[in-house]
Amino acid sequence: MSKAVLVDLTKCIGCKSCQTSCKQWNDLPAIKPQFDNTLSYPAETDGYTYTTVLHRTTEKNGQETLRFAKRQCLHCLEPACASACFAKAIQKTPEGPVVYNPDLCVGCRYCMLACPFSIPKYDWESVFPQIVKCQFCFDREGTHDRIGHGMEPACVNACPTGCLKFGERDELLKEAWKRINKYSKYIKHVYGEKEAGGTSWLYIADVPFETFDFRTNVPNIPLSTYSHDYLKWSPAVFIGGGALLSALHFYTKRRNEIAKEKDKNHDINA
Amino acid sequence: MAGLANSFGRGAMTNHFNDYKNTDVFLVIGSNAAETHPMAMKWIQRAKELRGAKLIVADPRLTKTAAHADIFARHRPGTDIPFLLGIMNYAIQNNLYHKEYIANYTNASYLVNPNYGFQDGLFSGAGEKNGKFSYDKNTWQYQKDGETIKKDFTLEHPNCVFQLLKKHVSRYDIETVSKITGVPKDIYRNVCETFASTGAPEKSGNIIYAMGITQHTYGTQNVRAIAMLQLLLGNIGKAGGGVNAQRGESNVQGSTDLAMLSHLLPGYLGVPNATKHTCLQDYIEKETPPSGYWKNKPKFLISLLKAFYGEKATKENDFCFDWLPKVDGKNRSHMGIFQEMLDGNVKGLIAWGQNPAVGGPGAQFERKAMEQLDWLVVVDLFETETAAFWHGPGADPKNIKTECFLLPAAFSFEKEGSVTNSGRWIQYRYKAVDPPGEAKTDTWIADKLFKAIRKEYQNGGKFPEPILNMHWDYDKPGHDEPDIAKIALEINGYAVGENKPLDSFGKLADDGSTVCGMWIYTGYWAMDKDFKVAKCKRRSREDSGLGTFLKWSFSWPLNRRILYNRCATDPQGNPWDPKRALFKWNGTKWIANDVPDYNSKIAPEKSAQAPFIMLPNGNGRLFANGLADGPFPEHYEPMESPVSNIISKQQNTPCASVFKGDWAKIAELGDSRFPYVATTHRQLEHYQSGAVTRNTPSLVEVCPWMYVSLSENLAREKGIKPGDEVWVETIRGKIKCLASVSPVVKPLTVNGKKIEVIGLPWHWGYQGMSTGATANDITPAVGDGNTSIPEYKAFLCNIRKA
Ligand code: SF4
Ligand code: SF4
Ligand code: SF4
Repeated sequence: MSKAVLVDLTKCIGCKSCQTSCKQWNDLPAIKPQFDNTLSYPAETDGYTYTTVLHRTTEKNGQETLRFAKRQCLHCLEPACASACFAKAIQKTPEGPVVYNPDLCVGCRYCMLACPFSIPKYDWESVFPQIVKCQFCFDREGTHDRIGHGMEPACVNACPTGCLKFGERDELLKEAWKRINKYSKYIKHVYGEKEAGGTSWLYIADVPFETFDFRTNVPNIPLSTYSHDYLKWSPAVFIGGGALLSALHFYTKRRNEIAKEKDKNHDINA
Repeated sequence: MAGLANSFGRGAMTNHFNDYKNTDVFLVIGSNAAETHPMAMKWIQRAKELRGAKLIVADPRLTKTAAHADIFARHRPGTDIPFLLGIMNYAIQNNLYHKEYIANYTNASYLVNPNYGFQDGLFSGAGEKNGKFSYDKNTWQYQKDGETIKKDFTLEHPNCVFQLLKKHVSRYDIETVSKITGVPKDIYRNVCETFASTGAPEKSGNIIYAMGITQHTYGTQNVRAIAMLQLLLGNIGKAGGGVNAQRGESNVQGSTDLAMLSHLLPGYLGVPNATKHTCLQDYIEKETPPSGYWKNKPKFLISLLKAFYGEKATKENDFCFDWLPKVDGKNRSHMGIFQEMLDGNVKGLIAWGQNPAVGGPGAQFERKAMEQLDWLVVVDLFETETAAFWHGPGADPKNIKTECFLLPAAFSFEKEGSVTNSGRWIQYRYKAVDPPGEAKTDTWIADKLFKAIRKEYQNGGKFPEPILNMHWDYDKPGHDEPDIAKIALEINGYAVGENKPLDSFGKLADDGSTVCGMWIYTGYWAMDKDFKVAKCKRRSREDSGLGTFLKWSFSWPLNRRILYNRCATDPQGNPWDPKRALFKWNGTKWIANDVPDYNSKIAPEKSAQAPFIMLPNGNGRLFANGLADGPFPEHYEPMESPVSNIISKQQNTPCASVFKGDWAKIAELGDSRFPYVATTHRQLEHYQSGAVTRNTPSLVEVCPWMYVSLSENLAREKGIKPGDEVWVETIRGKIKCLASVSPVVKPLTVNGKKIEVIGLPWHWGYQGMSTGATANDITPAVGDGNTSIPEYKAFLCNIRKA
């Protein structure tokens, strides 16, 4: 039995309650994002933001319309990020959440490369940078725990429309298909049922998932199998201070610079 | 509010949020519920899921509400009247209106003076009074036989209200409406068919509106058009029906009830006029109608005077009527005050939880007006633009002599008390946290301020009696804060000598034996026998299935959840839809799922004769002769419009409330400098003038930049790219902000001409964590002829790359 959230995008009104309640529950700092033409702020999850609501204009029945999608870590059933992490800083818990433990993190950022959904972000500004991603409000015995205390996640709790529903994955999956079969408006696809071997966050919608740039070409087999093979020799390289890490270092440094450039004047009090 | 009160008798939302789940068809016009009332959206979606309800959204912008519409009609700002009258015309032409309902429950059958007429955009009686346009309303009166109004229940008589209405709206056919509004004909026809389908007795249609309807020079008539459409289709008084005005703030209904408006005393009693009402008897005689529930007005007023002046108010001294502040006939609304301030006639201003430096029309000029003040007191959570008007753009502190005080106030979660929501539910809430620093509750500030003022008057002053003798007894021994329970008891009302809250305003008297601060709330503080708490503190989820939740809080008046609910059944007492029966007459008594808004002790056929108990004649008004600008709504162009009125020669409403000076400058028809239509709006991330939200980091983060929405087409024409800085200019000034280019707005085809529309959120100013241009710096100071509400929602502008 593992916990999951069903996101029914036909009900989302783009109110961002999920987003702000996540910030508050998790004591994340607010930043001042750059202007975004769609008014999604921030335009994607970042080093301070576990979740953001994407706003998109699209067409339906010959008229323009708006649709919204809350985006965060999908909590894969077999997470590539966790397999990529030789330090075991990211782990899949039996309850469902894929959680990150900063105490074990060595800052290699393999998880960022491994995630097929480009979810983990890096807290570039901090002196001791951390990986940043939705923890599914799971922090057993920790200050930010909800799931462990039998509560629903903060974002689900704040959602006024029933767009977010928390429960057991198999039951929510059944419900998703029930809704799809009952109402003709839905696309016949539960995003997350099979993607990357299945995820704990499931999406249904009445517009194609490409509207929100959700990757629809992710293989249906767990990517963890790949990443393990691919990265299994990396600790050795790490010990040897090998070339891959240097390359990675260069790569992340560059990204670091770009991101810093972007983050300029982001301080909310500026 | 004036539009509702003149149609139904009360200026309030008829139904309530939970009731939306009972609706078959929603028409959301001039409201963006998804952003401004997200909880309303929950119930709209529930209705869609449970009943397959249809949602029609009429809005110039593709809003987050429109995103969920089954039919989205993009109409030009300021064309709500043709849009609504066209639906009425469609319903009448196609026989879709609720005939039995209008014949019995409205004034459709009343015969109007045969000399009543309408020509070239003006009603009969047009003329001038004191150099101002005004209507002589003689021809708008009903025909009478002695005291009885003449009626024709067949609705065939050429002078009956129904026939006059039919004729009036017949000019608004689909073709014409489409030309004026810019809504394509097929979409508009679909709107008409879908909404008029709720004229079937067993169907419920619900119209939801907000500031997009009211903030026009004919805002009151916009509301009237909504009210009339709902009467015509028989949608008032029913579960799932109603005219649902969504108020702009969580407690704005409460503050309106308690007389926030300049022409009212608490409980919608008109403020006495210095020349018209020389004594209490005068007021009572002139302002008390002979029939309808308002005939009890003297009881409410005298109980109010007892609340104000306590023991000092006696029969012998007219209950101190002379001490009540009076109006003098001048415009004392927001714009009226600022006009006087601009002219240097106002010495001091207390801006209490209000931020006119951002929210007022022509805000830059309102800031200028404040420079004329000797003193300014601002009561707010943060140093708002109003508190800091002296260092706004263009202001030179060296030349400003105004002495400014900022009193830090507690936020709603930092104090205890009741909040009245749009649906009239008075819900009590408790303090969650203490206010920070020196911040104090509004009651504390009011209490201390009053006591300090009274102390000053003890040393003399002009007309000190009302202040020195004001009944003011809210102290709580051992506490610094006034006793909320004492205030609540006074609002609720009690019998002199007893300290027990009355349970009904039926018990108020006009002999000075009762005290009541606001009659419409009576009962909210009375003890619930089962729960042993004041009724507004109840939290029972017990329900009939219709969502009336009669034991959750208290809804004014007398816990009635749906107003005018006599109309929920036919005259014999059979519910129009047995599945959503608010009431049913079982032959001897009413089976009820709501508190009757009528006399339930008399036979149903009898109460059916006057279901709108607050109106003198008891019938809903399709024709209303109480307003300044006409018994029926008529389309006029906004004061600033890019097109001529095609329905009549009358370009603008002749009754608009106009002001003088730069802030009231109006661009003329055809001014090529300002070719585009602008409208202001709110959005969910920020609240009103942003005083709180622009100081809350997690809310600043979700929308940090002031922007203007423009169409892809206009952006291409002007070489504007997303994120570019642009100037938006009106005849009154210009502001700079960022461009958001998307199909949120699109050009409309108005009478063959392409009209671009732009949207401006009005939440920004120069204070706080997120600063940006103030949209209201460039809005016009011109208002509705009945209420003086400013025309924020339709004006002309230009846009160019900065
Ligand atoms: S979505 Fe990415 S970060 Fe989240 S569990 Fe899956 S692989 Fe890991
Ligand atoms: S589950 Fe918790 S951490 Fe994840 S987005 Fe929701 S509130 Fe944030
Ligand atoms: S809280 Fe719910 S409705 Fe609001 S944006 Fe988030 S998912 Fe959508």
